[in-house]
Amino acid sequence: MSWWDKILAFIPLELVQGLGVTGKYLFRKKVTVQYPEQRLEPKDRFRGMFGFSEERCIVCHNCAKACPIDIIHITDHFEESVVDGKKRKKKVLDRYDIDVKRCMFCGLCEEACPTKPVAIWLTTKTYETAAYERNERLYFDKVRLQTWDGVLPFPGVKAPAEGGMPEDPKAEKKAAGGEGA
Amino acid sequence: MTYLVIPLVKIVVILLVLILGAAYLTFFERKILAYIQIRLGPNRVGPKGWLQAIADALKLFVKEDLTPARSEKFVFLLAPVLIIVPALLVFAVIPFGPSDIWRLTDINVALLFVLGVSSVGIYGIILGGWSSNNKYSLMGGLRSAAQLISYEVPMGFAVVTVVVMAGSLSLVRIVEVQRELGVWFFLPGIVALFVYFVCGVAETNRNPFDLPEAESELVGGFHTEYSGMKWAFFFLGEYANMIVISAMATVLFFGGWLPPFPNLLAPLWALPAVAWVPPPFWFLLKVAAFIFLYMWFRGTFPRYRFDQLMRLGWKVLLPVSLANLMVVALGVLILGGRS
Repeated sequence: MSWWDKILAFIPLELVQGLGVTGKYLFRKKVTVQYPEQRLEPKDRFRGMFGFSEERCIVCHNCAKACPIDIIHITDHFEESVVDGKKRKKKVLDRYDIDVKRCMFCGLCEEACPTKPVAIWLTTKTYETAAYERNERLYFDKVRLQTWDGVLPFPGVKAPAEGGMPEDPKAEKKAAGGEGA
Repeated sequence: MTYLVIPLVKIVVILLVLILGAAYLTFFERKILAYIQIRLGPNRVGPKGWLQAIADALKLFVKEDLTPARSEKFVFLLAPVLIIVPALLVFAVIPFGPSDIWRLTDINVALLFVLGVSSVGIYGIILGGWSSNNKYSLMGGLRSAAQLISYEVPMGFAVVTVVVMAGSLSLVRIVEVQRELGVWFFLPGIVALFVYFVCGVAETNRNPFDLPEAESELVGGFHTEYSGMKWAFFFLGEYANMIVISAMATVLFFGGWLPPFPNLLAPLWALPAVAWVPPPFWFLLKVAAFIFLYMWFRGTFPRYRFDQLMRLGWKVLLPVSLANLMVVALGVLILGGRS
């Protein structure tokens, strides 16, 4: 270090440089999302609140078997009916419960569903499921899974019972470009 | 009347403006820091968040006021008072404008008064840290003591350069001299201004010299054990001290209440469209600029390590301010300065 450099070292140019950086940021566009008024839209594959459709469900129990922590509880019975002189047996869903408070949103139930379009899907973009009492309010039976009672749907998304049953919940057909209403 | 009512009114006005200003500085600080960090900052209380400072003050009023069981009760109570009183007392001599209406008093050793009184504030910090009976507080207090003693010296030398140039200790006279000479002292005293402001930042325990209250190491430093209004006093004292340092920098180096280029643009300032602007407006504008600089610093610089702090104070600022004093004194001597 020469004597000239030593003198220059006294002039705090780096400080001015740093001030310049923060000074620039002062006038940048702010990135804050004002949450209750503004929301970011989740991606299409985002796993949110369950959508469930009883009319699509064939009661195959695949989702319950696929669930790694066994939080899907299904009971059913057979109903016999006579159609055109033949006896027909049909499985009827009694209970379809999901203990959402323990759900880790792995989406394996959705993967396992053999129907097309799937009867259970997580791509609802709906994440405002907070509740004051988790055992009561986060345990969804088949009615609440469809009416979404106690869930605030993402703007533009409807509960399955209100017609929010997408044709392509898993967005497999790119042309459909998503789901929702 | 002249000796009781008018000064009393002035005192009340100054105190109110100062305390309200200090409260609002917290709001501005949060806003500026947020903007530097490309956030929005407080904007929920009142329109655009303007009532945030009031809400904070109300919150502090109703908060529980805890005193540690093993603390030194009287000193614990005394410390916040010791910190806020000197900070407010300094404003007795600060001239906001040229005539007597704009200041409380003008004493001929005002500069000495300011330096002396503002140094008393350090007792508040040390005693507050000691009486809390808490290791973190004591560490904060000790650091503060070492820091303030170290930085008082170069600050004194920086101020002395102005005294040499002005030939007076009266703050009013210093500003008058700047008007008469036609040059504000920040030009001949650019080094002194730098040293003064760095020391000022260090004396008010602000970033990057906020070691006494370094949150990440000492919890809250000397005010760890304080809560409620006592804590608010510490806070108010810190911000009032910021205003003091900024006001002093304005008076000493930036021509106090004088408008920009008071002599060159004299015809402009005499225009009726501009002449109604009261001198304190210019004063407050400059003070605001310095306070913005404080907040800008806080948004920019990381905290010094303690040995770096000491090295900067004793090995850089002290020699620089001494050399600068000699150069300035020589200049005044050669240019036939005032005696």
